[in-house]
Order: sequence, then structure tokens, then C-alpha cells
Amino acid sequence: MTREKAETLARRGTLLTSVALVALAAVYLRALMFTPVERFQGPAQKIFYVHAPAAWSGLLAFAVTGLLSVLYLWLRDRKVDLVAAASAEVGLAFSVIMLTTGPLWGKPVWGTWWTWDARLTSTLFIFLLFVGYQVLRGAILDPETRARYSSVIGILGLVLVPFIHMTVYLFRTLHPDPVVMKPGSPALPGDMLVTLLTSFGVFTLLYLGFLAQRYALGVLRDLKEEEASRAVS
Amino acid sequence: MRDALRAAWTIAGKDLAIEWRTKTALVSSLTFAVLVLAVLYFARDPTAVGAVDIAPGALWVTFTFAAMIGLNRAFLLERENRAMDGIMLAPVSPQAVFFGKLAANLVFVGTVELVSLPLFILFYDVPIVRGLPALVGITAMATLAFVAVGTLLSSMVVRTRFAELMLPLLLLPFLVPPVVGAVQATARILADRPLSEVEGWLKLLAAFDIVFVTLSTFLFEATLEE
Amino acid sequence: MPPAEPVLAAREVTRRFGHRRVLSGVSLQLVPGEALLLVGPNGAGKTTLLRVLAGLLRASGGRVERRGQVGMVAHASMLYDALTARENLRFFARLHGGASGGRVDPLLERMGLSARADERVGAFSRGMTQRLAIARALLPDPEILLLDEPLTGLDDASSEQVLAVLGELRARGRALVIASHQLAELMGVVTAVGFLTRGELRAVEPTAGRDVAAITARYREVTSRA
Repeated sequence: MTREKAETLARRGTLLTSVALVALAAVYLRALMFTPVERFQGPAQKIFYVHAPAAWSGLLAFAVTGLLSVLYLWLRDRKVDLVAAASAEVGLAFSVIMLTTGPLWGKPVWGTWWTWDARLTSTLFIFLLFVGYQVLRGAILDPETRARYSSVIGILGLVLVPFIHMTVYLFRTLHPDPVVMKPGSPALPGDMLVTLLTSFGVFTLLYLGFLAQRYALGVLRDLKEEEASRAVS
Repeated sequence: MRDALRAAWTIAGKDLAIEWRTKTALVSSLTFAVLVLAVLYFARDPTAVGAVDIAPGALWVTFTFAAMIGLNRAFLLERENRAMDGIMLAPVSPQAVFFGKLAANLVFVGTVELVSLPLFILFYDVPIVRGLPALVGITAMATLAFVAVGTLLSSMVVRTRFAELMLPLLLLPFLVPPVVGAVQATARILADRPLSEVEGWLKLLAAFDIVFVTLSTFLFEATLEE
Repeated sequence: MPPAEPVLAAREVTRRFGHRRVLSGVSLQLVPGEALLLVGPNGAGKTTLLRVLAGLLRASGGRVERRGQVGMVAHASMLYDALTARENLRFFARLHGGASGGRVDPLLERMGLSARADERVGAFSRGMTQRLAIARALLPDPEILLLDEPLTGLDDASSEQVLAVLGELRARGRALVIASHQLAELMGVVTAVGFLTRGELRAVEPTAGRDVAAITARYREVTSRA
């Protein structure tokens, strides 16, 4: 990719992110002002409008990284690795949002900061796998080796998460806990559903915007390194 | 296929012969296992929690952490004088190299488990064991799971500066399904529950084994220098 | 008689490390009985070129054609310090298969290591290690032998022994590629000298009828052109 194309992509990405952020503000406004307060959970339920879509973005980012890892090992195209890495970084950010908003929602609603159910545990491990991915990337200097190794972890992680989900599910069904309130997606009436779905849409846009920006940044950094090494030789 | 197995056998044999001469990793792992068993025994309120209750968890934490100490040994050995180059110059497939390393690691970890098990039974006063065959089977399945992934990961991390730190960081998520499965199944067998209750966990362990041993075998080639 | 087919050929080989071009458009070929000496400053890419020719590294561009087995002697010995000389050779012989097993003892004899064959390699001197490394490389009786700085760090006696072996190999129709800055010592063994600078193979000069001074002058001439 040439410098001009990368800069154009960065600009477009920034535009998309800005639009998404404005839309996000609008969603919050709607959530806080114009969406009814949930009967049982109270105002704290409104965090759900941020938490669930953030989790979705994190999961999306994880799947993208995993699938691109397979693609990289097949095509050995460095651009694929750069997108996968960009997705992993963005996903890490969304995972952090998800893991912090989750307990904030959980405490007032269920009376507990954390619970080891299948969904929460899986998302925790997605976060940990993202961290491992970044640490591994940071430890390898050669870009080609780094891309190969990242792909290996990406693929392993993608296959692991369903197993973790299954493990915790088995753990729960054979160890029934007294559950105060099941952290599921309750059937939402009209207004709330609209707000939630819009939020999902906005977060997806945010993911794509961040991804474009981060990928463009990666490409520009790559180009700079290339110029620098040419200058030396 | 037969050539691959023969090459794997040769590599495993060489690994074990070398380890037997120096015994460094083996002694470290065994000492570590004893220490962990002891510490976990005391890390509870004895009036509230019986040793038997924490026993399965303690056993598996011991097995996995002691194993992680020894897993890097396999590929560090090849980096010393770039012996891996010598192996790759021979007509040996990457899959054969992986099987050889996996086999050597399994023998290594198996030895640690074999020695720790009697100590465990002794320390934790565990009721022996009408379910011993089942226990051995579960141990074998869970061990295969994390040693396979551990072998693959170690071939990558030995190249980094912090191999000792990176291996646990990357491997621990992959320990969750096999270790949880093993602990749950072990607990039930020690409590003399019928085998049907353990069925779900056994299926999980078996599925994990099949998927991850296959996946690791195929991904190994991508970790070799090109 | 028709010209012999090349046993080793590189066609426009390029190799990148990240963004750096370590090799650019390197082309060469050898027929049986030819020995090429690669000279060039440190960092010119000699080691990388040998590794690409051996198949240990993939070429980023271009390709390498080999007609026969490759043996390699590098700066690292590719041997296991904890094993004896004989055990090391037996291990690699088993990996190569075929008739290699029968060559273990004759090679130990030829390289003057029979007396120390059952001592651990970790105790060997540099000269002995190098000779054992050559024995290891020769186990499959390779058609092509690649050597990276084979005489560095050797005393006179070991050096002479190595040179004698190289001469024999050439006489027996093997193809050799040697990277070294010791032009004078190797002049008698090689048939051509290649000048490698900054990843480019600038020229390949036959040694027939020329002396060291002539080759050195030609080298300066070729490499002074920026």
C-alpha cells in the first residue's frame, strides 16, 4: 500500500470513528433520557446498552483476528497480518470496556461484581488471549516471524474459546448455583430494544472505524521503517 | 508414515538420553512439585476445609506448573549449537519432529506425575483408589492436552528473551478445559460417584485432545525458521 | 562429452529480513567437482546465502535448484554437547537413514576422532568439534557440501586435515561452496572465487592459472565499483 492510500484510509477511518462517536453520544442521550427505566434493575440497567455492544465488538475483533490468522498462514501476505494485529489491539480495548462495565452493571443488579458463568468466563479469556497476543508480538523483532507466531496464537485462541465456554457450561449445569438473576438478554420491550440494537450498530461502526485507523497506522509505520532501512544501506 | 514414526522415536530417544544425563529439568520439576503440594496443603483453614476437598485441585495445579518448568527444555536443547538445523537438513518432516518432541515431553511430565502421585496420596490422605484405572486414564488425557499445546508454544517462546515468563502466560488459558475436566472427574472418582456422572467431562477431554493434538501438529511447521 | 548438469543452482535469489535486502539477485551454479569460494566483508550476506542454498531459509524471490543431498558445516556445530561423538553421529545417521549408519565408524576414522569417539562433545576442542561437524555433514554422502568459515579458529594440524578432506571430496566429484576470508589457504582447493558485497554477487572468477595476488587485485577492482 502506498503512503497516499494509507493516509486516505486513516482519514476515512477517523471520519467513520467520529461519526460513530457522535452517534454513540446520541445513543446515550436516548438511553438516559428517552428510554424507560427498567422495572427490576433500575437505572443501572442502562449500562447494558454499553456493555453488551462492547462485548460484541470484542468478540467480533477476536473472530476477525482468528480468521485472518488462518488467512495469513495460507497467503503469507504481510498486510493480512497488519489487519489481524490492528483488530487484536482494537479488540483488547473493547474487552477492557466490557470487563469494566460488566461489574459496574452486575453489582447493583445481581449483588455481585463477578460471576463465573460461561459467557463471562469466555470473555475474560478472550481478553487474556488478546494480552498474550500483544505480549508475544512485542517479544519478536523479525516481522515475518512475528506474523507467523501471531497467527499460530490467533488460531489456537479462536479454537479454544468454544471449549472454555463448554467447560464452564458443564461446570455450571453440574454445579447449580443459587442464581439471583440470570445475566442473559432479557426480552426487551420496543423502546429498549431499539436503543440496544442501535447501540450494537454504533459499536460495530466504531470497531470498523478504529480498525481502519489502526491498520492505516500500522501500514504507515511499516513504510517508515522501510524508508529508514533503505537510507541506511 | 512409518519413517515419520521412526524419526520421531529417534528424536524422542535422543532427548530423553540427554535429559537422563543431566537430569537438571527433571530434578527441578520434581522439587517444585513437592513444594507446591506442601504449600497448597497449608494454604487453607484446616478446621473448615478438609485436605480431601482441595486434593484434586492441588494435584492438578502441581502437575501443570511442574510440567511448565520442564517444557522449554525440549527446544532450548536444540538452540544450543543450532542442532535443529542439523535435524532439518535430514529428510525429516516437521510433523515427525513435533511427535518426537511431544513424546519426550510426555515421558518427562509423566515421570513427574508418577513420582508426585504417591506423595500426593501420602500428604493428602486420599482414599486409595478403587477408581485407579479411571484416574490414570483421565490423567493421561489431560496431560496429553496441555503437553501438546505446551510443546507447540515452547517452540515459539524459546526464541524470545523471556521464555520462562512467556510460556505460562500463553499456555494458561489452554489449561482451563483439560484441568477443569480432570479436577472435576478426579473429584467424583475419589468420592466414589458412578462413572456416568463423569461422562460429560470425559467427552470434553477426548474432544479437546483430538482437536488440539491435530491442530498443534499442523501448526508446528509454521514455528520453524524459514 | 556434453557439459555436466549443474548439481546446485541459484537463480536470481533474493532474501529479505523485514525491510532489509540481505541478498539481491544472486545467481550461481556448480557442476560436480567444482568448488566455489565466497569472499566478502562481514555482513555481505555469505552466511545467509549458504543457508538459503542449504534450504534452511526460504528465498524471498528467485529459486534454488538442488540435484542431490546437501551437507552443511556452519559456525555452530549442530551437535549435542551432552552426547559422545559416536552417539551424535549415530543419531544423525538414523535420521538420514539409508547407508549412513555404516559410515559412522569410517568417518570417525577419517576425521581422526576414533580415539575420542566415546567422549562427550562438550569436552572437545574447537578443532575436534569442527572435524566432527564435518563428519556429521558427510554422513549421507551428500552431493553438495556447504561450509561457513570452516578454517576459523583451527590450529595448523586441524586446518591441514580439513583441507585434505575438502580436496578429496572435490576429487570424488562433490560440489563445494565455502564462505571464508582465508583465500590463501583455500586457493589450492577451490575452482572459482565469488565476490559477495552488500548482498550482491558481483563476479565469479575461475582460479585456474591465477595466483592469490591476481584474485585479490580483481576483487578490489570489482568491489571498488560502487
